[in-house]
Amino acid sequence: MTSAEIARTRDEALAEIRVAETLRALEAVRVKYLGRKGLLPQIMKGLKDLPEQNRAAAGLEANELKSRVGEAIEQRGAELGAAGPAREPFDPTLPGLWHRPGAMHLISRVIEDVTRICARIGFTVADGPDVETKHNNFDALNTPERHPSLDPRDTFWLETGECLRTQTSPVQIRVMKSRPPPVRVITPGRCYRRDTTDATHGANFHQIEGLYVDRGVSLADLKGTMAYFARELMGPAVKVRFRPHFFPFTEPSVECDFSCHVCGGAGCRVCKSSGWIEIAGAGMVDPRVFEFVGYDPEEFTGYAWGFGVERVAMVKYGLGDIRVLYENDLRFLEQFA
Amino acid sequence: MNVPLSWLKDYVDVDAPPEELARRLTFSGTEVAAIRTVGSSFDGIVVAEIVETAPHPDADDLLVCRVKDGRRVVRVVCGARNFAVGDKAPFAPAGCRLPGGRAIGATEIRGVESEGMLCAEDELGLSDDHSGLLLLPRETPAGAPLAEALGPPETVLDVEVTWNRPDCLSIIGIAREVAALFGGKVKLPSVVFREDGRPVEELAKVTLEDAQGCLRYTARVLWDVKQAPAPLWMRRRLSLCGARAINNIVDITNYVLIECGQPLHAFDYDLLADHHIIVRRARPGETMATLDGAPRCLTPDMTLIADPRKAVAVGGVMGGAGSGIRPATTRVLLEAATFDPLRLHRASLALALSTESSYRYERGVDVARVEWCSRRAAALMTELAGATAARGVIDAYPNPQAERAIRCRYGRVRALYGVETPDDRVVSILESLDLPVVSRDAESCVVLAPSFRPDLEIEADLIEEVVRVNGLDKAPTLTPSALVAPDASDAPAQALIRCRSNLVGLGLTEIMNYSFLPAELLDRFTPGETARRVALPNPVSADYAVMRDSLIPQMADTLGRNRFRQVEHAAFFETGRVFLRDDSGVIHEEERLALGLMGAPGRTALDARKPAQAQESFLWLKGILEQIARVQRVNDLAFAPFEHPALELGRTVAVIVGEAPAGVAGLLRASLGAEYRMNGPVAIAEMSLAPLLARAFGAPELKPVPAFPSVTRDVALVAPANLTNEAIARVIRRHAPPELTSVELFDIFSGEGIRKGYRSLAYSLVYCSAERTLTDEDASRYHAVVKNALTSELGVEIRDK
Ligand SMILES: [Zn+2]
Repeated sequence: MTSAEIARTRDEALAEIRVAETLRALEAVRVKYLGRKGLLPQIMKGLKDLPEQNRAAAGLEANELKSRVGEAIEQRGAELGAAGPAREPFDPTLPGLWHRPGAMHLISRVIEDVTRICARIGFTVADGPDVETKHNNFDALNTPERHPSLDPRDTFWLETGECLRTQTSPVQIRVMKSRPPPVRVITPGRCYRRDTTDATHGANFHQIEGLYVDRGVSLADLKGTMAYFARELMGPAVKVRFRPHFFPFTEPSVECDFSCHVCGGAGCRVCKSSGWIEIAGAGMVDPRVFEFVGYDPEEFTGYAWGFGVERVAMVKYGLGDIRVLYENDLRFLEQFA
Repeated sequence: MNVPLSWLKDYVDVDAPPEELARRLTFSGTEVAAIRTVGSSFDGIVVAEIVETAPHPDADDLLVCRVKDGRRVVRVVCGARNFAVGDKAPFAPAGCRLPGGRAIGATEIRGVESEGMLCAEDELGLSDDHSGLLLLPRETPAGAPLAEALGPPETVLDVEVTWNRPDCLSIIGIAREVAALFGGKVKLPSVVFREDGRPVEELAKVTLEDAQGCLRYTARVLWDVKQAPAPLWMRRRLSLCGARAINNIVDITNYVLIECGQPLHAFDYDLLADHHIIVRRARPGETMATLDGAPRCLTPDMTLIADPRKAVAVGGVMGGAGSGIRPATTRVLLEAATFDPLRLHRASLALALSTESSYRYERGVDVARVEWCSRRAAALMTELAGATAARGVIDAYPNPQAERAIRCRYGRVRALYGVETPDDRVVSILESLDLPVVSRDAESCVVLAPSFRPDLEIEADLIEEVVRVNGLDKAPTLTPSALVAPDASDAPAQALIRCRSNLVGLGLTEIMNYSFLPAELLDRFTPGETARRVALPNPVSADYAVMRDSLIPQMADTLGRNRFRQVEHAAFFETGRVFLRDDSGVIHEEERLALGLMGAPGRTALDARKPAQAQESFLWLKGILEQIARVQRVNDLAFAPFEHPALELGRTVAVIVGEAPAGVAGLLRASLGAEYRMNGPVAIAEMSLAPLLARAFGAPELKPVPAFPSVTRDVALVAPANLTNEAIARVIRRHAPPELTSVELFDIFSGEGIRKGYRSLAYSLVYCSAERTLTDEDASRYHAVVKNALTSELGVEIRDK
C-alpha cells in the first residue's frame, strides 16, 4: 500500500461520507471502511508485508487515514442526527433535564434486602417498641439477673424501670405471646447499648433477627436457612460455618461465619486473612423461653438467628468506619441511588 | 484467659500441635482467639550474678552494679531496685540484641560507663512487667545462657470463655475440655501435705451468719510462713497468665485461682481480732477501706468478712486494707469460700469494683471443691514457703448443694441435632466431659450434673454438650422450604418499604440519625417542652442525653452540616421513632416522617443557580407531601394555618389527613437556619407515618376515562395579593357546572401593569361531559357563569385579552 493508494482511499471515503443522506447510509460507509472486515483494518494488516524501511511511515499515514475517516463519520452523523424540519439550534449533548432520583440509606437497603430474601421462604416482618420491659428484653429470654448485659454500664435503663431494648429478641417474645406456632418472622429494628461511639460501635444500631418455631425444627434447618441466606445476601459462592457459642435464649447456641465474599476464602483485608467473617449469632430456641411464652417445648422446637445491620452493611460494602452511616453526608448517601 | 500449653499439659496428655488444639477447642465452643509464643532463644543473653551495688554518683534513681557474667566482672548502670547482692538476673552484654530487636551497646549513662543491661520481663518480651529485674534462682550458674534458665519458648492460647462456663476460667477446666476432645483423663495435682500444727479449731473460729450470701466458708491456718519470691517456674506461669508476682504467699493464691478457678484470700492471722472470722451482712452506713486504698460505702445487701472489731473484706470482691499480707506476716489464715452469685454481682456493681475474684464468683464457683482447692493452696504453702499447717480445716457449709439429675433422651438429641447419633456415643461424650451418667434405659440416660457445671440445668443443656463435642459440622444442611404461617401479616412493614421507595422516586435521599440527641439541640428547636421529653438517666455523653421527641432538629442539623460541607442543594427524608412522655409518665413511641429541603432541589441543572424563593421552597415541600400522599393513596390531605416554634410564623401549615392533624410543614426560622449559615429558605415537614401507610395497598378510586372531547377555557383575574388561590378555586368549583373537570393555576404575575398590593392569576378550566361532545357555545356559557361568580363573590377584576 503506497502513499498514493492511501490518499485515494481517503478521498473516496470522505466523498462517500459527504453524500450519505441518512444515518443508515452513513453506517454502511462506516462498516465499509472501519468495520471489522473493512478496508482500513485490511490496510493495517497489510502493513506487516511492507519492506521494513517503509513500514513506519506507512503506519503513520494509515493511522492518520483512520482518524480522519472516523472524525468525518462522527461529524456527518451529528449533522444528520441534528437535522430537524425547522433546523433550529439543537444540542443533544446538553445535560439531561429530569430530577435526580434520591437514594435509600444503606441501613434501609440492607434491611429491605434481608426482608425480601426472607420473604421468599415465608418470613414476615414483626415489630416492637424501642422502649422495652425488662421482662421482654431479659427475663423471658432466659437472661439471669447477673448476666453482664443487664449492667447499667451496658444498658440504658429508664426512670420507668423499662430499658431501651438491647436487641430485637423481645419482639420474638411479643410475637410468640400473641399467636401459636408455626411462627416464621424476622424482626428488623433499632437497638441500644451503652457503647462509646468508635469505628465499629455506636450506642444506637440496628439488628435483624429471624425466628422459626414449628414441629420438628432442627439444627439442620438452621444450617440450611443460614446457607440460603448467606448466598442470597452476599453472593452465590458464600458458604457458612458454625461455631458453638453461648446466648441465654438459645441452646445449643452458635456463631455463624460466612466465607469471605471478597477473596473467596483465600484471605484478604476484609476477612483479616482468615477467609471467614463472623456475621450472625444463632441457635435452637431454649425450651425455657418457650415456657415463658406458653409454648409446649415438648411439642415445638425452633431456631433463632440475628445479626447487626451496620456490621453487614460495612462488610458488604467495604466500609471501614460505622460512623459514616450516621453522618448523613449527601456526597456519601447519593452514591447509593 | 491465657492458657500456657506447658501448664495445661500438667493435667492432660495431648500431643496435638497448638493449631489443631486451638481449632478443636474453637469448634467445640471454647474459642481460641490467638496463639502466642512467649520467649525466644535469647541469643547472647546470659545469667549474671550481682556482686556489688553502689549509688550512681550523679543520679539518685540509678545504681551502679558490678556483675559477673561467667567470664568476667563488668559494670552496669541499672534503674531497678528489687535485688540484692548475690541475686541472679538476665544480663544483655554490649553487642547483643534484645528479643524485640533493640541492640545493646556499651554506653555512658550520666558519666558512668555501662557495659550492657540487666533486664526486666518486658525488655525480654516476656510480659509488660517493668516493675523490676527478672530474678532468677540463686543456684543458677552465672554465665549460663538465659534460655537454659528459663526453658524453651512458651506457647500460650488466648481463650475466650463464654459467660456460662465459669469452670473454663481455670487451667484444669480447659484441661477437662481437652480431655473430652482428644480422649484421656484429667490428672489433678497433689493436695497431700503434712498437718503438723495444732488443731485449727484451737487457733481460729468462723461464724457464718449470712448463709444466704456465703454458701460455704473454709479457713486453714498456716504458721511459720517464710516470705520470699515464689519460685521462678511459678512466677513465669503467673506472668504468662498476666498476673504480677508479689511474694510466695500471694502468688500461691493467684496460682491456685488460675489453676483451679477458686478465688482465695490470705489474711494476716495476727491482724484478725480474736482470730475470729464473722461472715455477716454489712450494717447500714458501714464503711471500710479496701486493698486499693479506696473508702467504700457498704449496704446490707453485701456480704462482709469481718472480725469482732472490723470488716476485713468485701466477701468475694476485695480484701480490706488492714488485714492482708504485710512484710512482717508469718502466720496466715487462708480463706476459700463461695458466695451467692447474684448478691455478689450486685455488690460488685454497687461498688463499681470488678476483680478476678468477683468476675468468677458472679459466674459461679464450684461449691463442692472449695475445700479441695484450699488444701491445694496449703500444700503449696508448706512446700514453697516452709509453712507449718494447722491440723484440719474449718468448713462452714450449712446447706450442702444437692446435685441435679438431668435426663437426656436420645430421640431428643437426634431431633434437635438433626444427626443420627448412636445412644452409646451420646453417653460416651457426656462421660468424657466428667458428667457422670448414673443410669440408662432404652430411650435415655440420666446425668448427675456436677457442681462445677452450673450451666447444666435441663435436657437441652446436655444436648448442647453432645452437639458441640460431636461437631456442628456433622449436622446436615437442609434446604429450607417456604412456609406460610396462618394469620401472619406484615402489611405495615411492606407499606413502609413502598413509602420509602416512593420518596426515593420523588428525588429524596434518606438519612438516618440517632434516637438520642443533646438537650441543647432540642431546646433550640422546641424550647419549653421539656416536661414531655424522655431523658436518659445514664447517657453515654451529653451529646446523647435525651430521646428525640421530634425529627425536626436533627433534620435541620443534617441540612446544616451538609451546608458546611459545601453541599448547596439537598432533599432529605428520614423515618424514625420519636419518644414522648405523657402526664402519667408513660413513654409513647410514634413513627414519623420528616422531609427537609435546602437550596433549589426542585430545579434541573439549567436553572439551579437561580436562588430559591421562600414561596417556591415551600411549594416544593408541599408538592412532595401531596405527591407522596397521592401514591400512598391518601386522598384527603389538607393544609391549614399553624404555628411551630422552629418554623417561620405565617409560613407554616398543619398537615391534615381526613379530619385529624397529622403533622406540620413550613420554612425553618431564619435565625435557626443562620446558625448553620443556611441563608436561603429551608423547608421542613414532619408528620406521622401511620396515615401514609394505612392505605398503601388500597385500590385507587377509578373514574371512567372521558369518552367525549373536552373544551379548555382560561380565565385571568386581578385580585388583592392576600386573596388565596384556594379561595378563588373554591368559588370556581362551587359555581361551575358539573362539566368542570379541572381547575389549574398556570400563571401568577405582579408588577408592571398591576396595581400595588394586587396580583394577576390565570386559571385553565377544562369542561367535559360524559354524555355528549360539548360545543363552543356550551363552554362559553359555563365560563360566563364562572366569571360572573368571581366578580360578584370576590370582587376581582377579570382581565380579558
Ligand atoms: Zn477475604
